[in-house]
Amino acid sequence: MKAFKYLSPKTIEEAIAFHGQHSETAKYMGGGTDVIVKVKEGWMEPDFLISLKKIKGLCELHKNDATGELSIGAMVTHATLEKSLMIQNEYPIIYDAVSNIGSLQVRNVGTIGGNLINAVPSADGAIPLIALDGVALLHGPDGERSVEVKDLFIEPYKTILKPGELLKKITIPPPAPHTGSAYIKFGRRAAMELPLIGIGVLLTLEDDLKTCAKARICLGVAAPTPMRAFDAEKFLAGKEINEEILIEAGKIAADESKVRDSVRGKAWHRKEMIRVHVRRMGLKCIEIIKNNR
Amino acid sequence: MNNLNPDTNREFSVVGKRIPKLDAAQKAMGRAEYIQDIKLPGMLFGKILYSKHAHADIVKIDTSKARALAGVHAVLTGEDVPKKMKMGFYKDNPPIKKGKVCSFRDEVAAVAAISPEIAKKALDLIEIEYEELPGIFDPEKAMEKDSPLVHEYHKSNVLNLPWKLHYGDVEKAEKESDFVVEEKFTTQWVTHCCLGTSGAIALFDSNDNLTIHTNTQIPSLAQKDFLESLKAMGLVNKRVRVIKPIIGGGFGSKLDTYAYEHISILLAYACRKPVKIMFDRVEEFKATSTRQPTVIYIKQGCDKNGKLTFRDMRMVLDNGAYTSWGATTPSVMMMPITSLYRVDNVRFNAKCVYTNNTYSQAMRGYGNPQATFAIESTLDMLAEKAGIGRVDIRRINRNQPGDITPQGFKITSCGISECIDEVEKEFAIDGPKEKGIGTGIASLIHVGGGARIYKSDGCGAILKMDDYGKVDIFTGGTDMGQGLDNITAQIVAEELGLYVEDINVVHTDTDVCPWDVGAHASRSTFVAGNAALGAAKKVKETILEYGSKFLDADPEDLVLRDRAIFVSGDPEKSMPIDKLLRKAHFSPQGKMLMADFFYDPDNENMGKEFKGNMSVTYAFGAHGVKVKVDEETGKVQVLDYVAAHDVGRAINPLLLEGQVYGGVVMGLGYALTEEVVTRNGQNMNANFRDYKLFTAKDAIKIKAPVVETYDEYGPFGAKGIGEPGCVPTAPAIANAIYDAVGVRIFDLPITPEKVLAALKEKKSATTEI
Ligand SMILES: Cc1cc2nc3c(=O)[nH]c(=O)nc-3n(C[C@H](O)[C@H](O)[C@H](O)COP(=O)(O)OP(=O)(O)OC[C@H]3O[C@@H](n4cnc5c(N)ncnc54)[C@H](O)[C@@H]3O)c2cc1C
Repeated sequence: MKAFKYLSPKTIEEAIAFHGQHSETAKYMGGGTDVIVKVKEGWMEPDFLISLKKIKGLCELHKNDATGELSIGAMVTHATLEKSLMIQNEYPIIYDAVSNIGSLQVRNVGTIGGNLINAVPSADGAIPLIALDGVALLHGPDGERSVEVKDLFIEPYKTILKPGELLKKITIPPPAPHTGSAYIKFGRRAAMELPLIGIGVLLTLEDDLKTCAKARICLGVAAPTPMRAFDAEKFLAGKEINEEILIEAGKIAADESKVRDSVRGKAWHRKEMIRVHVRRMGLKCIEIIKNNR
Repeated sequence: MNNLNPDTNREFSVVGKRIPKLDAAQKAMGRAEYIQDIKLPGMLFGKILYSKHAHADIVKIDTSKARALAGVHAVLTGEDVPKKMKMGFYKDNPPIKKGKVCSFRDEVAAVAAISPEIAKKALDLIEIEYEELPGIFDPEKAMEKDSPLVHEYHKSNVLNLPWKLHYGDVEKAEKESDFVVEEKFTTQWVTHCCLGTSGAIALFDSNDNLTIHTNTQIPSLAQKDFLESLKAMGLVNKRVRVIKPIIGGGFGSKLDTYAYEHISILLAYACRKPVKIMFDRVEEFKATSTRQPTVIYIKQGCDKNGKLTFRDMRMVLDNGAYTSWGATTPSVMMMPITSLYRVDNVRFNAKCVYTNNTYSQAMRGYGNPQATFAIESTLDMLAEKAGIGRVDIRRINRNQPGDITPQGFKITSCGISECIDEVEKEFAIDGPKEKGIGTGIASLIHVGGGARIYKSDGCGAILKMDDYGKVDIFTGGTDMGQGLDNITAQIVAEELGLYVEDINVVHTDTDVCPWDVGAHASRSTFVAGNAALGAAKKVKETILEYGSKFLDADPEDLVLRDRAIFVSGDPEKSMPIDKLLRKAHFSPQGKMLMADFFYDPDNENMGKEFKGNMSVTYAFGAHGVKVKVDEETGKVQVLDYVAAHDVGRAINPLLLEGQVYGGVVMGLGYALTEEVVTRNGQNMNANFRDYKLFTAKDAIKIKAPVVETYDEYGPFGAKGIGEPGCVPTAPAIANAIYDAVGVRIFDLPITPEKVLAALKEKKSATTEI
C-alpha cells in the first residue's frame, strides 16, 4: 500500500482549499470503506486523503416539520439511517436498502455520501434516493449547485462532480400522502453481499387508494449506473394498481433494463428477478399504504 | 489389537466435559502468535511472481532490473532451482517453473528484499516474454486424442494412477435388478478459506541446517519433503527443524508442501538470511489448492424390496497442471462407493486428467463429499422409482456392526441406525408436505480410527511430570484450530487424575516432538489421543507403584483423582500427586516420571484391488434438512438442520459440536454458494466479496445430536469427527429441494439460477404434455 497523508479539515471551505492545493493527488474521504480498500489494493494511489469527518453539519439527519423536507448530510452513516425511527416509519425504502449494506462494521462507518459518489451500479443507497426524487446539494470552488440524484452518475466510478466539488447533503421533497416504498437487494448471501440486482419501487396512489398517481421503479446493477425504468413507470401512471398490472410493469422494467452476464450472475436470471420483484415490491408498497391509512 | 480401554462405564471427571478451547481467550484477545506475527532478526521478505498465461512457453526472462534495485538480495528463476527439486507425490511440480508455464498459478520468479514493498517493486521489474500455447480446461476434452498436452514429456494428459476396482459382478447384478437409476453429476472447485493466510520463514544456521517456521498439518512429512529439497540443493546429511506457529485453519490445505515453502528455503540459502514469504488474500485464493472437481457417472440398482444390488461409478477428475493429494482422493471416494450401505457388487474407475487449471489438494472429507453427493442423490431417485420411502431404503440397506464390506472394511461400532432415528425425530421425512417446503436426508461413512494411507499411521507421544504435579506432553499430533490440544490434555488429565490446566501440550516443533503422519483423515483424536493415553498409562503405572509403597496399599485399590492418589474404601489414606512426585524424585536412587508411547493403529494398507481394513473403526452419521424454495427466484432457504453423528464417545462435546457446526456450514457453502469461478484457467473471484463463503448471518441453527456407540479401540471409546460434518450436506440439500419443488440439481453449487432454470424446464415439459 502506498503511503498517504491524512488531512482533517474542519470546514467545507478548508476542505475545498486543501483539494485545490493538491488537486490531482488528493481525494475526499467519508468513512473510507471504498477509498481505503482501493488504496490497499493499489487501484488508487492518492498522496492526500481529505477526511470530511470533522466538518460540522455534514453528519446531520433532519426532517423539517414545517416543509416536510428531509435532509440527509453526506456524512450520515448507514447505521444512523438504519436506526432512525423516522426513517424506518416514513422512508421504508431507505431502511430496506441501508440496513442490508455490508456488515454492522461497514454500516457504522460507511456514509450515504460515499455510497453515492463512489458511483457503482450496485450502490444500495442510490436506489432509494433516486426513487424518492432526491436532490444532491454540491459545493465546490465555484460555490453551490443542486442536481437530482438520478443525474449524478456518468459511468461506473464516475459522477458529474467537478474537481474539488463535494457532496454536502441530499434533500428529499415531502412525500405525497398515500405513498409506499420498498427495496430489495437480491443476492446469494445474507451479509457482505453486493446485490446481483437491486429493485426499488415507490408508489403514490390517488385518494381513491387505487389509481396510481406516481410510480418510481429504480434498478441497481441493471445498467452501468443506477437507473430508472421510465417505461414501466409511465405504464403504471394513471392505472388502477393490482397484481396483474404490477406483473406487466415488471416485464416492461425487465425489458428496458440493460442487465448483462457477469461472474456474479446471469443476465436472464437478473431480468427474471426484476420481473418478480417489481411485482413483490409493488405489492409491498400497497400494503404499506393500506397500513398507514 | 492394542485395545487400551476396556472400561466402558467408568465415571469420568474430565473426559466428556464441555471444556472451552484452552487458547480461546488468547485468540480472542489477539495474543496468539500466527506466522504473520513472527519476525526474526535480519529477516528478508520474499515474493513470488506468477504466470500471466494459462499455457505458454517462456521465451525470455530478464531479471537484471530487479537485481539492480536497491534492497534486493536475491532474484531466482527456474534456472536457479535444482533439477531434482520437485513437489508432490507425482514429482511433476518444481517450485519455480522453467521453459514453460502450465497454469496461471505457475511460479516464474521469486525475489528476496529488505521490505515487502521493495520485493513487490522488484517483481514488477522482471521482464518476461511469453509465447502463448493453446490451453485445455475441460478434463474430458483433455482426454481426447488431439488435445494439446499439458506436459509433453508425460505423453498423455491422463495420469498413471491405479484408481479402479470391481467387486462382485456389477453387470450381472444390473441385469437382475428391478430398478436402476443412471445419472451424471458434476462438482466444482471450492477452497478452504483459512482465515490465517499461508506463510513460511526459512533460515539456515552456520552449518547449513534448516529451520522453517511454517503452517503445516504434516510436520513430519513436511520435514521429509524439505530434507529432499536440501538434498537436491546438494546439502546432504543436514538437519531440518519444522516449527509450527499457531495455525489459523487447515481443512486439508496444509497436507502437502507448497512452492512458497521451498522458495523460501531457496531464497534463505541464497541470501544466508531468514526469508519470510506471506500470502495475501488474493494469493491465498489463487495459489493454494482447491477441493478436487469431478465429473461423476453413476448407476445404482435395487431389487423390488429396496435392497441395493449394485453400484457402478466412473469419474473424471480435473487434476489441474500439477499433482498433489487431490489426485489421490479416489482412494477415499472408494469408501462410500463400496461401503456406504450394504451393497455387494461395486465398480469404480477414476481418471485424473491434466488441464491448464489450478491443481487440487486435500480438503475436509477428501473426495467423500463428491462421491456421497452422487450416491445419496441417486438413492433418493431409486427409492422414488421403487416406491419405497426415503428413510426406509436407508434403513433396509444400513451398515451394521460386524459387517465386513466388499472392500474389506471391518465395521466395529456402527450407529447409522440411531443417527437416522435422530433425523426422524426432527423431521417427518416421508410425511405430509407444505408447498415449497421440503425435507432431505443423507448418510455418511468416514474413517474414524485412523487411515492407513502411508507406511505408518502412527503417532508418538512423550510425557514427563515435574515436582509440582504438572505434565508436559510432547505429541506428534497437530492442533490447527480444531482443538487437539484440549483433547490431548483431557485424555491425559483423566488418566492421571489431574485437571486440564495441569497439562501443557507441546506440538509445535519437530526437534522435540515425536513422529506423526499428519493431522488428516479425522485421525488425531483417535491416533494422537491413543498415543497420549498410552504414555499416560505408563506413567500412571509408576505412580501407582509409588503410591502402593507410600500409602502401604494394594495398587489395585488405588485411585487417581483431583490431583491426589486415594485408597478406595479408605478415605483417610491419600496423598497429593505433587507430594508423591517429589518423594519419588528426592529419595535415594530418585526417579522422575516420564514415558513415551508410539501408537500405530492395527489397520491395513489397501492391498490388491484396494482391499483392506483402512481404518480401525468407522464413523457414521445422518443429516436431515428442511428447506424452503422460492419458486419464482430459485433461491433456497435452509430452515432447519440436524446432523447426527456416531462419534464413539464425545471426549469434549463442546468442541465436537464446533466441528459439526463448522463442517455443516462448510458443506452448506459447498452445496449452495461456494465456487471458484474460472475463465480459461484464470481465477475470477479471488476475494471474499465474490467467493461466497457463508457469513455468520447465513449460518443457521444446527442441531448436532451425538450418538455414543463406544468404540472399543478408541481412546475412552472415541472415534474421529473432524470431517464428517461436511460430507452428506450437499445431497441432503439436493434431496430436500427435490422434495420441495420436484426438481433435482446435478451440478454443484445449487445456485438460484440453476434451480429456476430447472423449474422452468419442468414447467415447459409439463405444459407440452
Ligand atoms: C466489506 C464491505 C461491504 C460492503 N457492502 C456494501 C453493500 O452491501 N452495498 C453497498 O452499496 N456498498 C457496500 N460497500 C461499499 C461501501 O461501504 C459503501 O459504498 C459506503 O457507503 C461508502 O461510504 P464511505 O463513507 O465509506 O465512502 P468512502 O470510501 O469514504 O468514499 C467513497 C467515494 O466517495 C468519495 N466521497 C466520499 N464522501 C464524499 C463527499 N461528501 N463528497 C464528495 N465525494 C465524496 C470519495 O472520494 C470516494 O471516491 C461495502 C464495502 C465493504 C468494504
